[in-house]
Amino acid sequence: MNPRTRRGNMIIEAAMWIPICTLLLVGMAQIGKITYTYYTLRKTVYSIAQYISSQQAANFCDSADTVIAAGISFGITGTTDNTGTPLITGLTADMIQVTPELFDVTTQSLVNWDTTGCDTAAGGTTPQFIVVSIPNGYLIQPRIPLLPVLDPIPLKPVAKVPYGG
Amino acid sequence: MQRSLWGPVVTRNQNRKRNSQERGGVSIQMLVILVPVLFGFMGFAVDLGRLYLVKGELNQAASAMATAAASQLNGTTQAATAAANAAQSLLDDSLNSASRYNLGSIVIGQASVGLNSGVDPTALFATAQEAIAAAGQPGAVSAADGSTARHVTINLNADAPLLFWSLLSLGQSRHVSIAATAVAGMSAPLCTACGIEPFAIAPIDAGDTTNFGFTPGNAYTLGMQCTGAAPALLAGTTAPRVAYLIVDRYDSGGALLEDQQLFRIGAQGMIPSNPAFACSRINNTENIWATAAVRACAAPGVSQSVQNLLCGLSTRFTTTTPAACSANADLNDLVAAYPADTNSDSITDYPSYDGNSRRVITVAVVDALSTGGAMQVQGFRQFLLNPTPGVDPVANNPADANGRYAALYLGSVMPVKQGRFDGSCGATAGPGKVVLHQ
Repeated sequence: MNPRTRRGNMIIEAAMWIPICTLLLVGMAQIGKITYTYYTLRKTVYSIAQYISSQQAANFCDSADTVIAAGISFGITGTTDNTGTPLITGLTADMIQVTPELFDVTTQSLVNWDTTGCDTAAGGTTPQFIVVSIPNGYLIQPRIPLLPVLDPIPLKPVAKVPYGG
Repeated sequence: MQRSLWGPVVTRNQNRKRNSQERGGVSIQMLVILVPVLFGFMGFAVDLGRLYLVKGELNQAASAMATAAASQLNGTTQAATAAANAAQSLLDDSLNSASRYNLGSIVIGQASVGLNSGVDPTALFATAQEAIAAAGQPGAVSAADGSTARHVTINLNADAPLLFWSLLSLGQSRHVSIAATAVAGMSAPLCTACGIEPFAIAPIDAGDTTNFGFTPGNAYTLGMQCTGAAPALLAGTTAPRVAYLIVDRYDSGGALLEDQQLFRIGAQGMIPSNPAFACSRINNTENIWATAAVRACAAPGVSQSVQNLLCGLSTRFTTTTPAACSANADLNDLVAAYPADTNSDSITDYPSYDGNSRRVITVAVVDALSTGGAMQVQGFRQFLLNPTPGVDPVANNPADANGRYAALYLGSVMPVKQGRFDGSCGATAGPGKVVLHQ
């Protein structure tokens, strides 16, 4: 076999392997990115839930309540007064939902904490659980060369912690 | 010399006699050797990353379950069941908010394709040391019953799926079991307690730092302080009569009217965001609620403010508004917001109480009751409200002329929902709050 043919084989081999290796490596990096982002988001919602549940009072009836706003800001930026830069680019306070839950002793089931009586009763009893979620998800766009553009993946971590403590 | 991806290997093979068949064999040979190595390393990146993520999710779930369970430990036999139920309610997906793992896809405790997860029964302990020793020990069992338990250990485990490692011989089961553990329990005595009931009482024996002279298990008559000959005790309670004053929690800028605020506080409603209207601190001073003034014991009734607060207390027994309270239209909107305790019986043996702690109140013990000056807070202690005999529906009597109600002294049995340890206040006994030990 002359060296020229052998060189040709090498090029074909390389042409076969390089896309596969690139896909694997890039895919790995993308999975890493998604995993890391999810982990950070999960810690964010958990921090918010922990912060709100351990404050002496949060008014869940008022969407602009200072304690809840401070908790969300704490999770997103690490500062309660919203002066820091967001830890995750593009994560904003309006994406985050705080839902109190109550364990109804008469029906022995979990119910959403009733906010209908907020104006008069200020929500009645204290909730038992604080659920922090990102209802519409934090969208992350996987970018893999050679493949068509994939749909963004919504990451929707949920954290639920007991109120108090 | 040529270089390709397999340069060194090809170089080695160049020393051998080559023909086209041998050369084809190099790629296959390389494939066989390199694929497992490659998958192994890919596994380190992808699978190990996911295992780390799953571990974090499980730890978070275990912490939330332990905290929820510990908050139910109120010193009754029933508390063991209540704690287990509270932990379980974090796995209840009826509102789509259960604790999940594997990027939030699998509810813990529910089987998924080839992946199992489970939570050990909630283990209860009297001391934090025992609870911490049981952490991470699968199958750890309770060493305390509900009445003595103060700490909770949660052990759980779940199978995390493997992607690349599942293609290797060591990961053929396609998953690996991951364990998580958490310990929570009642903390040291709080210096600042928030959201407690705004009653101030004086100690029977100021030298007794544990119980202030009260006897756990004794039912006392708590009555509004008044001038003149002290009124009689309620039936079934022991002497001495315990006089109380109402601590000022009035938020003049609040959305609710003053009588509504009193009712909400008595009913254990949401506490205001401002700590000044919600928290008491040991060694700090408190003043009385201005409109809850002291009257003569022989007067025909207590002030309207005291009655509104007692109306709030009655929601802990019944959802039916007592007649004395339904006259106040301001309160009617509020009544429906508060569920009654599941047990409204008169209790003499506290460990047998099987309600949901709605009737447990935490009050401030002050150096001496004073209507004019400041009262210094010495500590916080808990009572169980008992119904006043002869009242229908079963409840305390908000219309009582001296603001009396019966309450069983408990000591410091139950964690307070909110509070702080800020600074040193020298408290050696008193209720704590739920903290995560591990």
